[in-house]
Amino acid sequence: MKKIFVKILFVTLVGLPSFALAQDSLKNIPALDKTGMDASYYPVDFPKLKMRDKVTTPLTAKLIYSRPVLNGRAMIGELLPYGQIWRMGANEASELEFYKDVTVGGKKIKKGEYSIYAIPEVDSWTIIINTENDIWGAYKYDEGKDVVRVKVPTTAIANTVEALTVYFEEAKDGCFLVAAWDKVMVKLPIQL
Amino acid sequence: MKYLFYILFFFGMVTVIVSCQEPVKTSNTTNSLDTLFRLNKNPYVVMDQSPMDMIYLPADYPLKRMQLPIAQDIAAPVVRIIYSRPHKKGRKIFGADSTSLCAYGKEWRLGANEATEITFFRTVSINGKNIGPGTFTMFCIPNADSWEIIFNADTNIWGLNRNPTKDIFSLMIPAKVQEPSIEDFTMVLQETKEGGNLLMAWDNVKVDLPIVYMR
Repeated sequence: MKKIFVKILFVTLVGLPSFALAQDSLKNIPALDKTGMDASYYPVDFPKLKMRDKVTTPLTAKLIYSRPVLNGRAMIGELLPYGQIWRMGANEASELEFYKDVTVGGKKIKKGEYSIYAIPEVDSWTIIINTENDIWGAYKYDEGKDVVRVKVPTTAIANTVEALTVYFEEAKDGCFLVAAWDKVMVKLPIQL
Repeated sequence: MKYLFYILFFFGMVTVIVSCQEPVKTSNTTNSLDTLFRLNKNPYVVMDQSPMDMIYLPADYPLKRMQLPIAQDIAAPVVRIIYSRPHKKGRKIFGADSTSLCAYGKEWRLGANEATEITFFRTVSINGKNIGPGTFTMFCIPNADSWEIIFNADTNIWGLNRNPTKDIFSLMIPAKVQEPSIEDFTMVLQETKEGGNLLMAWDNVKVDLPIVYMR
């Protein structure tokens, strides 16, 4: 009888806490983010083109952004109030890299890494390109570091887009940076 | 004797209750995966099954920077990694047979989709060799007791068919047992006495890659 108690004592005091500790070690391992990060390229799908030896024009632009989801919430105009600056993503500020000089809103932008923000309004969004990088959201946004601000009209889209989607699309004299979420779409022209 | 039993029973129950709260986390992962399938109706760009993630050394650099009072700033980060996080989803990940997702001796992009990219914001030392500042891609050849880690100068590439002529250098690091098993491939940048450490863990394997620099 005593032996059984010793065994129970051993399991309780040594076995179970160490099991709990093993579970605990998982807490230091970062879980998957709810708003997964994604990358968009211009030319579209550049890394895949490169893999297939189908590159005709060199890499021009790359966007790294996190993709928040609606999850039944009203976002633009509600949780993201009109007139307020927004990181056009989630978590870290969205990052836009140009691999050559481009023109946005009539302004020449040197090749390099930038952060990108938006101020949504009902009929238009103001897209902001800023020199700051490696930062979290727009909490310490500094207007003095703006490179360009461009007002672009909004278009209504028929089907609700659940996850924020930002991608490049070919245009006549360059490309568009297209942002679509909920029932709104904006297109920022980039001249190459 | 009777009291001893009650005390043990009490401790036992407490431990069981505490450990029962843990599996909630795993079901969260499953839920977010289900959400991903639902999101794949997106008409423009579908959500990726292996979402990208970004880590810094010092850890959480952008967050720490935000939390500082305005007008204060911290020094530039040392390392940044952008990688995609595939899930185990009941598959065999590392193994000698070719049915394993990352078979021994075969090149793996240390992630999914695009090749994993590492940026060194200054010169660091890895296995006695200097590297950076600059951005590089990382590849891995896993084996039972060690992983070969390769740094390559070709960036913005899909993670298959690396170009070996652009290799910078490679090194071997010991493969260790990861317990408990990890569902999503995970990279963690940790600060150490020598500088930093890149911990990589998936399924039941983990490795440490020391990055030496002056703090």
